[in-house]
This record gives sequence, structure tokens and C-alpha cells, in this order.
Amino acid sequence: MELGEFPNLTFPAARECLCFGWVRQAKSLGKFTFLQIDFFPRILLDMAILQTHQLTLSYGSRRGIQQVSLQIEAGRIFGFLGPNGAGKSTTIRVLTGLLKAHSGTAQIFGLDCWTQGALIRRDVGYVPGDVRLYPWLTLARGLDFLSQVRGRDLHRQGLELAERFALEPHLSVRKMSRGNRQKTALILAMAHQPRLLILDEPTSGLDPLMQDQLMQCLREQAQQGSTVLFSSHTLSEVEAICDRVAMIRQGKIVEDSTLAELQARAPRKIILTLPEDSPAPEPLPPNIEVLWQPTSDNAGRPSTADALLLAGIPPEQRPRTWVLQIRGPSKSFLQWAAAQPFSDVVLGPPSLDALFRRYYETDEPHETPPTETPAVEMPAVETPAVETPAGARS
Amino acid sequence: MKGLLNRIRMEMETTVVLFCIGLFAVMGLLTALLPKVLGNIHEMFDRLPLIKPLITAMLGVDPGENISAQLSQAFLWTHPTVLTLIWAWELMYCSRLPAGEIDRGTADFLFCLPASRYRLFAAETLGWLASGILLLLYGYAGHIVATSFVHPEMRLTTRSTLLVLSNLGALYLAVGGLSFLCSSLSDRRGRAIGAVFGVLLASFLLNFLAQFQDWAKAINWLSMMEYYRPAIIIQSDEFPTSDVCVLLAIAAAAWTASLAIFCRRSICTV
Repeated sequence: MELGEFPNLTFPAARECLCFGWVRQAKSLGKFTFLQIDFFPRILLDMAILQTHQLTLSYGSRRGIQQVSLQIEAGRIFGFLGPNGAGKSTTIRVLTGLLKAHSGTAQIFGLDCWTQGALIRRDVGYVPGDVRLYPWLTLARGLDFLSQVRGRDLHRQGLELAERFALEPHLSVRKMSRGNRQKTALILAMAHQPRLLILDEPTSGLDPLMQDQLMQCLREQAQQGSTVLFSSHTLSEVEAICDRVAMIRQGKIVEDSTLAELQARAPRKIILTLPEDSPAPEPLPPNIEVLWQPTSDNAGRPSTADALLLAGIPPEQRPRTWVLQIRGPSKSFLQWAAAQPFSDVVLGPPSLDALFRRYYETDEPHETPPTETPAVEMPAVETPAVETPAGARS
Repeated sequence: MKGLLNRIRMEMETTVVLFCIGLFAVMGLLTALLPKVLGNIHEMFDRLPLIKPLITAMLGVDPGENISAQLSQAFLWTHPTVLTLIWAWELMYCSRLPAGEIDRGTADFLFCLPASRYRLFAAETLGWLASGILLLLYGYAGHIVATSFVHPEMRLTTRSTLLVLSNLGALYLAVGGLSFLCSSLSDRRGRAIGAVFGVLLASFLLNFLAQFQDWAKAINWLSMMEYYRPAIIIQSDEFPTSDVCVLLAIAAAAWTASLAIFCRRSICTV
């Protein structure tokens, strides 16, 4: 139950919600509609849960963030990627009201993060990147404390989460391992079922099973309408759970797209094996490039990079193996491949890692997505084939 | 607010109880022993000439050749052990928000609770005031208990004791306000504590030097100890209005400034 401000919500719509009993009170004041909410279906709000515009902050001579603009709609799991020191935590600290931006705006639920932070934090759960809790705190004590601060009983949800995360509720922080401290922070952040979860590298310290459990929890929260801001420097976990990804580098947003858009742009590896004594393939379509091909120079002894590409391919097949990389739609490849005398083809999944690695590796931040060949990676021979033309195996 | 106060209780109750017991014991011991020790102080003055200015600096008045029974009680309220205990507690408590929280990394947890910074500061202030009252009461109780072992002529009247206690309370507020201010200005607890400790040390030093040096006497009004003079209160048996007002003004100014700074500053934990 809270008083919020929703600029995009019309007063008649709010009154309609009032009739359904979702809203306790609705008042119109100028262009704003003020609501005292008991329960409100987020889809009706038609608004960004979190919005930043040209957010800029610097730590004196040290770089902070520059003109960061983000928008996260309700019910999304939003991945916030970036290398260490890129500005992820700084952005999050502005959103949580810890830091005051030098310019730009940051809003959550339509409220200003700096001036109305206390109101916002009623419905936000936050796990910092470097979790440090009071040494005397136990989960049970934390739930007592947060129940009093948040004005509602959080014990049931908290203990349910503790069971899921296999955490002893009466163990004090001073006796906890790093992973258990992380679990405690996660449970305390999620126990009140917040409308927005801000997680700064939440999987650090968790074992793989607990990471899976966390991902499952987050999916459930998103299904129930919560929004998740998932900050990480590990692409794979963002790729596994998020439906939209923004990437920050040197304090600037260099990428903000849906996962589907990114996957469409991401390169894929193709491993093509030709039959013995077959002629060389026809010239490749323009969106396909050759990463490795058998020549008289390299057939006998591949270089280190080539060896990486050829890992998993039997040595006797290597003189007949081509490693290709395709960007964009695979239709042109399929058309080309249909006319080739290959004996085997493996088509890998879109490699977001390759797409993003370039941002990590180059010095200057990119304003547009990269188009050049990314650094060489392990071939996709062990991953299941996504698309296989006739006669091909996965 | 209840939750925030509970957090303070969970974190500080053991420490405050230990300080209270410590102050109770020290006040009791000093009340019982000081009259006997100071009874022969003129011999000590003869042997160690530096002792007299030191005691003068502590009491705020010249004790003459012999310290009277009542003045010996005043010495109790300015004894370094008593002041150290009270100030140590204050420095420890008042430097927690925000410097201590930032320093130990729990700022993210605390400041991301759904409570405004005003509320956090108000809770911290309530804890500070409550612990101060408790501490002074325990000190007073220690003094009262030990008074029964002191010769009746050497006892202070309840009125005088309460007047001294009010002056000590005002000093407690001033030092606490200053600690809050230094904490609000700093990201490091050690620095905040060091700054307040420096001010207190300078106050003591100035008060001491004012016994010998004219220049020190001229600027002695800057010393916080100049406004805490139990001996004069005991001698005059009057409420030290001006001293208390100055100390309260320092406390109010420092506390208000620290609140304003704390609510406006960025909490930088990186």
C-alpha cells in the first residue's frame, strides 16, 4: 500500500481500477494521477518501471558513468553487462539513491531515485555486488528486523526461500561462508516480493546448483510481474535468463537490445567436412567468412589458434575440414551449402560471447555494434546443431 | 522506526552495558578513594610542581595549597578515566553513521532499506541520547552507592551533583554532535574518530596551557573544556547557565549540520 505517481496513467483508468478494488484511493493533480495502491496489475500502468535519462556521474578525476539512458518495462529480466569497473555498480547506486547523479534523471516507478528514494525502496529488493552484512545478523533476525522496517510479516516467504536455498536461518553472518552470506542477502532482498529486484552480480559465491535455484526464483518472480535488473560481467548467466540486455563500457551504454535482436546479429560457427578427393567448395556468400581452411601450409601442423578451432575434430578429418563463421540470417548459407559436396556440417548456436567479447577487448567504446570478426574461440563442434540441411548431422 | 531502533539495540546493547558497568565501577571507586588520596595533595604539590597546574586545568579553578573535600569531589567528575569512558563510547557510537557503515561495507544494506536518511539519523540520535542518559545514570548511581562509604562532611549535596551532571550531559551532547558531524563528513570511521579525538585533545591542551601562557588564555574560549567546570559549580552551587548554553549551542549546530550533510551527501562505497 503506497502512494505513487504515474504520469502515463489516465485518471479515468485509475478510477476504473479503483472500482475493481485494486486502488485504495486515486487523486488527479494536474497531469499526474496519484494512487494509493493495494494491488495493481502492472500491465495497466503501461509505463517503464525503471528509467534513466542521460545519467552522468564522475568520481572526481575517476570515470563514473556518462549519459546512461535505460528503460526497463514491467515484468522484464533486464541484463546489465559490462567488464569490471565499467560503471554497472555506479549506475545501480544511483538507482538505489546512494549516489546523486551530477546530471540526468533516474526514476523508478515514476519517482525520482534521489529525492523519493525511501518511497521507492519499499518495493525494491537490492543485493549489492560486494555483500557485507552485520556480523550479528542471522536470517531469522534479519527477517524480524525487515518485517518491522517494511511493516509486514516476511517470515513465511523468507523461510520458504531459505529452504529453497538450503540456508540455516539461525546461523550468524560471522559464521557463514561467502556463499551463505550471498544467499542471506538474496533472501532478504526477495522476501517482500518486490516489484523491482536490483541484483548486482548475484551469483558470485553461489555454487552451480544454487545459481540454478536463483535463476528459477528470478523466472518465477518475473512471471508474477516483478522486474529484475540483473547486473553481471558473465555473459552466459545473462544470456540464460534475461530477455533484454544493455552493455556498459567505460561508463557509457554501448548496446541495448533484446536477446533475440542480439542473437540475430551474433556470429555462428560452421564446421564443414568435405568428402575425400572432393573439389574445393564454391565461393562463399558475402556474410560468411573463413576462419580456417586446409591448405598445404597448415594441413600438417595447425597453429595454436587453428588447433583451438579444430579441437574435437579427428586429425584424419582435419585436411578436409573448413571452419566458417556466419553473421546474420543463415538462409544464404543454406542455399550455398545445398550445392556443396560436403559430407558433414555442424552449425553452432549464435555466439553472443563473440559479439560481446569485442566490447571487452577493444580500448574505445563502440557506439554501434561490431561488424568485424571477433576473437577466435573454441569451435562449436560439441554444441548441438541448430539448423541442419539435408544430409547434415548435428 | 521501531525496526531501526531494534537494529541499534541488537548491535550496541552489550557494549553499552559494559560501558555502563565500567562507569559505575570507576565512579564508585573514585568517589570512595579520591578524598583519601587528595587529602595529602600538598605533599604531592611540593614533590611534583607540575601536578598543580594539571589539576587546576582539570578543575577549572586554582585549588590552593590544599584541596577541600568538595573540590576533591569535583575532581571525580573531571577525572580522565571518567571522561575517557564517556567519550570513548560517544566516539564509537556517533561515528557509526555514516562513516562506520561505509567503512565496514554495510552501508548498501542499511541505506537501501525503505527508510529515509532523516529517519535513519533520527533513530541513531535516539540511541545516542538514550545511551547517554543510561551512561550518566550509571555513573551517578556508582557515585551515590560509593558515597555511603565517604565521610558525611566530604559528600556533595544531591543538588550540586545534579548540577554537575547537567553540565556533563551538555558536554556529552557537544562531543556527540561533533562526532556526528565528523562522521557525516567522512567515509572512514578512523578519520572521523581521529578528528574528534584531536579536538578533545586540543581542548585539554589549551585548557592546560592557559594556566601558563597568556596567548593560550586569550583563546581558551575555543576549548570545549572551558565550559565544563564542576569545581565552580560545586563552589557556587548555581546552575552553569552560560556554560551549558554554549555546549548546547555547539551540540545543536554540529548535529544540525551533520543531519543536513548526511541527508545530502552521496554514499560512495566503491
